Amino acid sequence: MTRVQVLLGLAAIAMIVGLWFAFTAPVDAFQGEYSRIINVHVPSMWLAFLAFGVTAFGSIMWLIRKNLRWDRLAEASAEIGVLFSAIGLFTGMTWGEAVWGRAWDWGDARLATTAVMFFVYVGYLALRRATPDPEARARRSAILGTIAVIQVPLVYFSVNMFRTLHQTQTIRPDGAAMPDEMLVAMLINVAVFTFLYIALMIARIDVAKAEASAAQTQDLAGDAVKPPLLSEVEDV
Amino acid sequence: MAHRRFVYLGIGGVLALVVAMTLTSLDDNLTYYLYPTEAVDQKADFPDGNRFRLAGVVVAGSIQENSGDIAFVVTDGGANVEVVLTGTPPPLFEEGAPVLLEGAWRGQVFQADEALIRHDENYEAPEEGGAYSEG
Repeated sequence: MTRVQVLLGLAAIAMIVGLWFAFTAPVDAFQGEYSRIINVHVPSMWLAFLAFGVTAFGSIMWLIRKNLRWDRLAEASAEIGVLFSAIGLFTGMTWGEAVWGRAWDWGDARLATTAVMFFVYVGYLALRRATPDPEARARRSAILGTIAVIQVPLVYFSVNMFRTLHQTQTIRPDGAAMPDEMLVAMLINVAVFTFLYIALMIARIDVAKAEASAAQTQDLAGDAVKPPLLSEVEDV
Repeated sequence: MAHRRFVYLGIGGVLALVVAMTLTSLDDNLTYYLYPTEAVDQKADFPDGNRFRLAGVVVAGSIQENSGDIAFVVTDGGANVEVVLTGTPPPLFEEGAPVLLEGAWRGQVFQADEALIRHDENYEAPEEGGAYSEG
């Protein structure tokens, strides 16, 4: 087995363990069973924040060192961040529909800033797709990746800066407003998702390295077929 | 070139959004919701029919279900506001629930057509023997 297969297999087992904790922890007295979704929603959003932070780190390091390995790091992390932002938004909407009575509200600052953050990083991926030259692609991505990370603290503190439907932080510097067993289950799932992030990053960067070396050593397939030059065609 | 403009547009859009959101937070008229004390204090700013959102806790014993609507009282510990809600309440609507209402004043009563649950950041395990207890 490859190291990626081992890591992903371990991550799958870890997720099952996380699920076990999610379903055996106590529920919230008011929300009931719906509160269990916190074990997917919060870890997903945590992962998005982490991933976009790593993208910013890779972007800054590329701007300093100009070594493409940093660009590969930034790209891989942005992809995973977009994926888990989507999962966080989806689980959030499901939870909102169940407990709030409404899946979405653009008037809520937490929801709106999270959605914008998601679209900006989708834009980051689109920008990369639209730029074939590796040097230009890395440079443009690095600029966007460095600037866009400002959205992470914006999203996180939006519930404190504005009046929102979404509640404020449960885990605060002075403690957690949550029973211990619930908190333990949630933190275990945060750790599980972080391990999954690491496994996915290694897998994705391996692919990126393979792509980069293939681009250097192999000819473009279509180059084997070239149209004849006009000067070579005799009876025109 | 189109690609470069795309990047600048994206960056400019993000910055514009940050600025816009910061500025709107300073404008009271765009506040997402008012608490009962504020709603009563600012009643003159919202003449009958001017829509805004009201957030409060449903006072125990105040819920009256009528044929076309539900009447109840919301409070923030300071002021009480009488509410009449048309349409279905959210599934978790009950005494003591924190609600977010959308509607307008009609005299001394807040006429709401939408109600959401606006729960806070606190999670509490159910009491032993309650509906959601483990044992």
